[in-house]
Amino acid sequence: MIVSLNSLPNPIGAVATAIPSSGAGGFSEALGSAISQVESAQNSAKAAATALLTGGQGDIHNVALAAQKASLSLELFQQVRNKFVSAYQEIMRMPM
Amino acid sequence: MSLDRVGLELGSYLSFLTRRQEVIASNIANADTPGYKTLDVSLPSFRQALVQAEEAPGLTTRNDGNNVSMDREARLLTENTMKFTLAAQMLRGQLKDIRSAIEEGRSS
Amino acid sequence: MSLFGAISVSASGMEAQRIRAELITENLANADTTRTPQGGPYRRKDAVFSTSAVQGSFAQALLELSAVPATGVSVSQITVDDSDPERRYLPGHPDADAQGYVAFPKINPASEMVDLMSASRSYQANVAAISSVKDMIARSIDLLR
Repeated sequence: MIVSLNSLPNPIGAVATAIPSSGAGGFSEALGSAISQVESAQNSAKAAATALLTGGQGDIHNVALAAQKASLSLELFQQVRNKFVSAYQEIMRMPM
Repeated sequence: MSLDRVGLELGSYLSFLTRRQEVIASNIANADTPGYKTLDVSLPSFRQALVQAEEAPGLTTRNDGNNVSMDREARLLTENTMKFTLAAQMLRGQLKDIRSAIEEGRSS
Repeated sequence: MSLFGAISVSASGMEAQRIRAELITENLANADTTRTPQGGPYRRKDAVFSTSAVQGSFAQALLELSAVPATGVSVSQITVDDSDPERRYLPGHPDADAQGYVAFPKINPASEMVDLMSASRSYQANVAAISSVKDMIARSIDLLR
């Protein structure tokens, strides 16, 4: 149960409290939803760029913004995933 | 953790400035077209979905029906470009802040 | 219309003003032309401007109803002045008629020059518009850095 992670020192504890969860499924659910958000950000960016370059639809600043959001989403996801992984390893190392 | 709200305000402001620049270009191109009336987009009207360029109020009409004032259009051209530069810079700053926040999280 | 459409609009403005300037220089050059292949003196030419939709993409055309109009300008007609020419009394002139009058073009060089200055200023204004739009496009691309 993730609740026990609340007592860990920052920042791992802070990241862990953001997980809405019940059981080990909490980890994979949170990661899963994060992955799909990153994917949808990438798709939006690609669609916006295609629309502008082929049909001339849309504003350039919106295309640039979508591209940056996709890139930031990916970076944020990577950092959060790393935190998850190290939190998981920390738990595994705990003497039970 | 979606970044959907990032750049929402500034992004739509940039869209408004883009629409306005297009209308100003139309006004300048038609400065000598008989019967042409100066068009403009206003920020309140931009908040709605459909943006219709409306006739700009308070301009005097000449004999050929044209009311384009080159002084007004030239002034708006410069003003609009400057506002766009400022808003785009602010947006860049926002994105940079988010990026450094993410990177700082990596080290701690 | 997008920023690229705005460039097309300003380009149409430049084209129209250029045509106008060309007609004015033609008028000035022929201010004293009393003989033309069509017979009679040179007749003053003028350009008629009218709004014209700028070439956009097909996708844009579908959105025309709700979008900002991409109204450029074009020279819809070149009118030739067909009112009675100015007649001056010059009996020795080769083109003089029976009463000694010669038909001259009704062209006032001073007002043609004023027109030319106006066309030149409008041309420059369109150039400034293109330059500012190019600036905005560059700033937008900057967002990617």
